[in-house]
Amino acid sequence: MLRTRWREMTSRPALKWTFSTLFWLPMGICFTELLYTVKSVTGRSMQPTLNPDSSVWHDIVLFDRWSVKASRDYNRGDVVAIKSPYDSKLLVKRIVALQGDKVKTLPPYPDPEVKIPEGYAWVEGDEPFKSEDSNHFGPIPLALIDSKLTFIVWPWNRIGPLRKPTLPNPKAQRGPAWRAQKAEVEREERRRARVQVASSST
Amino acid sequence: MVWLHNVQRIVRDATQQFSNVEWKTVRPKVVTALKVVNFVCAWHLFVEHVGWIRYVDGPSMVPTMNVTGEWIVENRMISPKNLARGDLITFVSPLDPSRFVCKRLIGLPGDVICVDPMGKYVPSTEHVVIPKGHIWLSGDNANASRDSREYGPVPMALVRGKFVARVWPLDKLTIFRSNFRYIDEDP
Repeated sequence: MLRTRWREMTSRPALKWTFSTLFWLPMGICFTELLYTVKSVTGRSMQPTLNPDSSVWHDIVLFDRWSVKASRDYNRGDVVAIKSPYDSKLLVKRIVALQGDKVKTLPPYPDPEVKIPEGYAWVEGDEPFKSEDSNHFGPIPLALIDSKLTFIVWPWNRIGPLRKPTLPNPKAQRGPAWRAQKAEVEREERRRARVQVASSST
Repeated sequence: MVWLHNVQRIVRDATQQFSNVEWKTVRPKVVTALKVVNFVCAWHLFVEHVGWIRYVDGPSMVPTMNVTGEWIVENRMISPKNLARGDLITFVSPLDPSRFVCKRLIGLPGDVICVDPMGKYVPSTEHVVIPKGHIWLSGDNANASRDSREYGPVPMALVRGKFVARVWPLDKLTIFRSNFRYIDEDP
């Protein structure tokens, strides 16, 4: 009796599809929790790397959880998603310094310079004025790092891996785009200049 | 050029063999393998989000837990709201992301805590207010424990679950209850 009911139910294609989706759901959830997931990034704290003013869309980015969870493979300069120490929400920031480094902090932080303790990292947004980062909450435990941002999936004109800023061609025609590219390199240099990398970990 | 001829032959044989295998006969095996993977995934999700039994060791929670040889049921279905002072909290160590540790919850956000009553790390007069979204954790065996006295308040994002009951060894079966007593409460 039950078996015939079951057969009737599963003979309907819509129901069959629902059941098979539910059946395979654990594999899908595990894939997004352990390997890779795609999320949209909101907020202006990572401008101009993500969500630049010129873009009308929120950036959609590939989050690499595997390299963080399996091999703790991240370094200074990587863009990572961290869980906020205050409310566990995901924040997208850049790792500026790791354990042993000395960082010159920016205004909201009480001390002018900090040495990052063992097991901690210093994270900052690329746009320091619009970012809630380590200058507010101090160094964060490495265990709060959730995933690494590796690839911009959308918008279409910026599809591709997240890459380091490069100097613009000095012979090219100078316009707003040229100056923006130059400014990005200078911003990166200024951020590097505030960090004294620990001698043992170079 | 004999070796090249050999390689060509091996490749040709292999492709011929592969083309002889029909998808109809392989398909059930692939589906079975995927079902096994799917089951492992479901089990992983259960352990991560619902809870299971865990082996504990280390001296920091003596006398609540022994140094070795105990298995304890962990509850992963927690939220920041249902944490209470006196709970046995499991969390990822702020000092080392690969370490999973258990300590007792002493203070919730807004509480004023004496950092170290024994004066080992800082003078025993120093007090802190626990910030929003953080908790204060400490080992039951203060002499052999690295806890909030050393690394300060712990963000709730590091908390994974709480320990409910000891199930092994069987003669020491216990359900962990809060051993917290408020000293200004009426007896």
